[in-house]
Amino acid sequence: MTILAPPDQQAATPRAPGLPDPIPVALHLRPPKREGAEARFAGTDPPKGWDVSRHPRVARLLRSRRLQFFLILPNQIVFWLVIFLGLLGTVVPGLNFGTAITWYIWFCLVFVMMVVVGRAWCAMCPFGGFAEWVQRRTFWQRTQRTLGLGRKLPEPIARYGLLISVGSFLLLTWIEEFFNIAGPGNPWDTSYMVLGIVASALLFFLVFERRTFCRYACPLSALIGTVGAMGSAAGFRTRDREVCLSCATKDCMRGGEEGYGCPWYTWPGSADSNLTCGLCSECYKACPSENVGFFLQPPLTSVIAPKRRRADVAWAVALLWGLVVFQQVNATNGYAVLDAWLNRATHLGYPNPIDYLGIIAVVALAFAGIAWGMSRLLGRDPSPSTGQVRGVLGTLLPTGSAVGSPSGAFVDRPSRFRSFFVPLAYGMIPVVGADYFARQLPKFFKHASRIVPAIGAWFGEGSTHSSLYHLRLLSNPGIVAVQVAVIALGTLGSAWATWKIAQRDLAPVSSHPAATRYASVGVAIALGVAAGFLYVIMHAAS
Amino acid sequence: MTFLGTTEPQILALGTNRAAQPTQPLVHVLGDRCAGCQECVVRCPTGALDLDVTTWTVLVDQDRCVACGQCVRTCPFSAITVAGAPQVSPRLALEVEHPASLEHDRHETRRGIATWVDALAEAARCLDCPDPTCVRGCPVHNDIPGFIRALGTGDLDQAHEVLRRTTFLPDVCSRVCDQALQCEGACTWSLAGAEPVAIGALERFVADNAPVPPPAAPTRPDAGAADGLSVAVVGSGPAGLSAAAELVGAGATVTLYEQRDELGGLLRWGIPDFTLPDVVARRLPDALLAAGVEVRFGYTLEPAGLEQLRSDHDAVVLATGASLPLGIRLPGSDLDGVWDATRFLVEARHALTTGGPLPGVAPETDRPTVLVLGGGNTAMDVARSARRLGAAAICVDWMDPRFAPVRPDELAEARAEGVEVRFSRTLTGLNGEEGRVRSAELAATVQERAAERPRVVPNSMERLSVDLVVTAMGYRIDPDLAALAGSVPVKKEVPAVPDRRWIGSGILAAPAPPFARRQPVGRLAVGREQARVLAGLPRLERTWVVGDALVGPSTVVEAMAQGKVAAQAIVHHAPRRPAEPWVAPRRVLIGVESRGGTTAAHAAALANGLVRAGHEARVLPLRDIRAGELAWADALVVATWVEGFVLAGAGPAKATRSWLATLPPLAGMPVGLLCTYAVSPGRTLQRMRAEVERHGGRVVAGAARSGRPKGHQLDGQGLGVLLDAFSRPNADAA
Repeated sequence: MTILAPPDQQAATPRAPGLPDPIPVALHLRPPKREGAEARFAGTDPPKGWDVSRHPRVARLLRSRRLQFFLILPNQIVFWLVIFLGLLGTVVPGLNFGTAITWYIWFCLVFVMMVVVGRAWCAMCPFGGFAEWVQRRTFWQRTQRTLGLGRKLPEPIARYGLLISVGSFLLLTWIEEFFNIAGPGNPWDTSYMVLGIVASALLFFLVFERRTFCRYACPLSALIGTVGAMGSAAGFRTRDREVCLSCATKDCMRGGEEGYGCPWYTWPGSADSNLTCGLCSECYKACPSENVGFFLQPPLTSVIAPKRRRADVAWAVALLWGLVVFQQVNATNGYAVLDAWLNRATHLGYPNPIDYLGIIAVVALAFAGIAWGMSRLLGRDPSPSTGQVRGVLGTLLPTGSAVGSPSGAFVDRPSRFRSFFVPLAYGMIPVVGADYFARQLPKFFKHASRIVPAIGAWFGEGSTHSSLYHLRLLSNPGIVAVQVAVIALGTLGSAWATWKIAQRDLAPVSSHPAATRYASVGVAIALGVAAGFLYVIMHAAS
Repeated sequence: MTFLGTTEPQILALGTNRAAQPTQPLVHVLGDRCAGCQECVVRCPTGALDLDVTTWTVLVDQDRCVACGQCVRTCPFSAITVAGAPQVSPRLALEVEHPASLEHDRHETRRGIATWVDALAEAARCLDCPDPTCVRGCPVHNDIPGFIRALGTGDLDQAHEVLRRTTFLPDVCSRVCDQALQCEGACTWSLAGAEPVAIGALERFVADNAPVPPPAAPTRPDAGAADGLSVAVVGSGPAGLSAAAELVGAGATVTLYEQRDELGGLLRWGIPDFTLPDVVARRLPDALLAAGVEVRFGYTLEPAGLEQLRSDHDAVVLATGASLPLGIRLPGSDLDGVWDATRFLVEARHALTTGGPLPGVAPETDRPTVLVLGGGNTAMDVARSARRLGAAAICVDWMDPRFAPVRPDELAEARAEGVEVRFSRTLTGLNGEEGRVRSAELAATVQERAAERPRVVPNSMERLSVDLVVTAMGYRIDPDLAALAGSVPVKKEVPAVPDRRWIGSGILAAPAPPFARRQPVGRLAVGREQARVLAGLPRLERTWVVGDALVGPSTVVEAMAQGKVAAQAIVHHAPRRPAEPWVAPRRVLIGVESRGGTTAAHAAALANGLVRAGHEARVLPLRDIRAGELAWADALVVATWVEGFVLAGAGPAKATRSWLATLPPLAGMPVGLLCTYAVSPGRTLQRMRAEVERHGGRVVAGAARSGRPKGHQLDGQGLGVLLDAFSRPNADAA
């Protein structure tokens, strides 16, 4: 807005537009709290110069309501092809476009996007995208009436944040293992799985408001959110926090004329990591003050720098670590013996849910146990006002006494154990991310070239006799070498992140800061070495 | 416990009363979703919320919470919940007095607050919300917490002064407003499901007990702002009185044109004394007369008369109301003894004042029966007047009682006075003897949903002997006057995306409070606000239309609000008759639809040039320009980029076309057009001109430019045609 007046009359010019509005006279809003904001966000606010939306062309692109539609559209086409070709195409998994693109290419690409950008996949995801088109009753316009019930996810569930997504990821992975979907097995199963995700997303979008599905229930949300913290896209952030604090309308949250309220429940004014920024650009469009920018950040910033460390993220990292370790262990002979023995007793099939969940739980709790041990040995008693020590399992349970404030809620409740466990878990994100990425590499290096005959199969040209069908980009030893290199890189990232985190977050709560720092880095290296060792004994198994 | 920042024992004992509601509310903040935006913190009436800087989420002091739920309604992310009942003491019960003998009784039946003790007790129930939803619920936006705060300190004068900033009729509105759908329905206690503060009763306490200064008090901040301005106000109902009072206060010379022989309009003839005593209704008219307002009684507005008014005055306010009664088209509706409510109320008022008999019925008729068609407030007034004139009164309404728009308190009062109110009945015919109505045929109706039209039940006829039938089914704007005013009535529409400040207040988050009879108080308030803002725009050149004439049958307070806004607009623009020397438009609003910044650059250059020429210029994106912004402007410039191709037809951008299509009447406003193009502007200017003129705008210049302004053009020199058009008389389109 520009108001201009002749220079000699500027002082007398009323700033308020239009005729007198009597309502502001009656308002006496309390001033929002500003003290401490600068220090609170100093480590996580990206440098001003890293706002790529300052470039007019980028700004025009982000301002366009069609942007996300055109990001989603290609993926939408591909995944409906996956569904239809999976059902109607050849049953040879390696030659079926649905299975080939999904398991040889897509999963790897998603991990690359996570590590480099963050939630880039969420911005172009065809599952949430399709359901959102239905919910909004439009492909790209800012419609005012949505379809569906618009409910809020009940608080007793929502309080666990990302853990709901971890749960659905564990369930989906078990189903995938049970039916050998990602093997890949019968292409029909891949189609049904994708259809199931689309249907679940649609159901959530029609029952709940905004992107409740993506924020809470999507199987990939926790993985992308945590591993994506390594990414270099900070997401949409405030350009000037003071403007956001004094904003009277909060269009970015409530929705304005040009953009929807944040579908991910994120406020650019307080975002200190890229964890819950879906990169949809709605806040950028909605802001009436043009005070939202699209910022880049140095890699690992959202791992190292956030002041607010969330317990759900920490437990998500621990459990996801458990899952990927399971996926490594299950390629070993020892696991086959264990699973066969359990199935003789329980007849639950492969993978036996007991060993599946058991291994995940043991790994996650082992990591938590290490953190607990460090907190006992190296931690200081928290002050009485910051909470009570409730043990490892106790932190997962809701408390009755302190539910009135977020400091008593699950994601933020302080304890001596958490003061070590949560920062340490953040520090493990690079090695966990690397482990997931390395786990996908064998399929890529062994079979990625099959996408060509799989496409050729549409035209009757593809064949299992094709040289591309059997082409391996790397030999098994080569794959193992790359896997170990990836793990080494992740371990380095974790070691560096942990070193910084220990200095920032653990030193203040530690009785022996130097020992804590070395021990924390040691944990990161130990995890990396363990993962690397497992890849060596797996011999590049898919 | 601290409350309202005070620890005064008496206030605490009378106000929020934990003893009455021992259950402590429990606030729950969903830490996962709380973004620390502090929308709840800045609005919490008791200061129970704060920000935890470490987590940047909200902290709660549970002991301070009174469960008003303001935080829940205002949170953009639904991240806060409150369990437990609102902690507020019971609302003051006000008495209704019915005289032992109704005959010719004109005493007011509704009692006000009798004592200071009661007034202070009720005032102490007010939470003094930082973002008071009651103020948004009030159509004229009285500073309700402000006047209650003053009242709570015992300062009646200050309380009245606070009310006077926004209302001229606190004594009237406190008596006749349906507060349940307005301020009280929107009170935070009401939105939380509890009984709201008795705002109407407190307003009446102040209005009845504080001295009232004259409308042209020299203490007004805008006194003298309209000196020398001559304004005609046609109609002296609440809208006209309000406009006149505002204009007189600002120093304008006002002439009131009234059809009847007394000022006050509907306040005088339409609302009986037992609801609004004449001594109250005539306070403002008498004050205006005392302030020197010229009055022409017996004036009936004709189309030619409007032209005369416009040539005699600088501005005209049409506040002619919606005076055409909705009639019946049934066999027998032309019989003698079938009256409309207006006629009956006027004659009944006269009869009650002079001790005369029931009008419309032969004096010798023993225990006459009056059948009133309708079940709304006017019908109740008619029936209760008839009861006071010795008749039996029967109201019939075809709606189901669950959906009928009658106020429960008025219905109860009418029934207490012996009025028989029958819902789910409709008139199917009238029978007469010797040309006079003698009986009515009634049939039962059924209605399942509020939006459903009631259906007649077959074979449910009954015959009723009647001596007089009065139609009280509503009114509409006289079509002749509607043709004069142009595109009225306007709809009180709720925009698809309401103002986010209104959403943020929480008034829209509690759609149907029990106290508001499950009506959507927030949406009703937003709709009223649209009409209030529209009243600031002239419908014709130098002609504003307000009140029922603008929106159709409505309420006293809405009419008053619109009259005040129109008067403020007249003072703001200070329009002059054509005979006066030409005055360049002072405030130029430049609306911009720019894609790559070229159009915006030209708009900024034009603004610079206008400022150098002595104008006041304001540049806004087109999408941000609505009635409120237009009301500020004396002239408008629409600047757009050109969309399309030379061959396919270049034209204004789609967003510009959409905006132009929804323009309110421009009433002769001078409009400049500007487009920027890459290859050719095509017919962009012509198409924009046609659309502007369709909405009554007067296009004074147009310019098409290519490329960004450079050098001296940054001062608007490249747009001389537009600069000239706003700086010299008799400009016409280029």
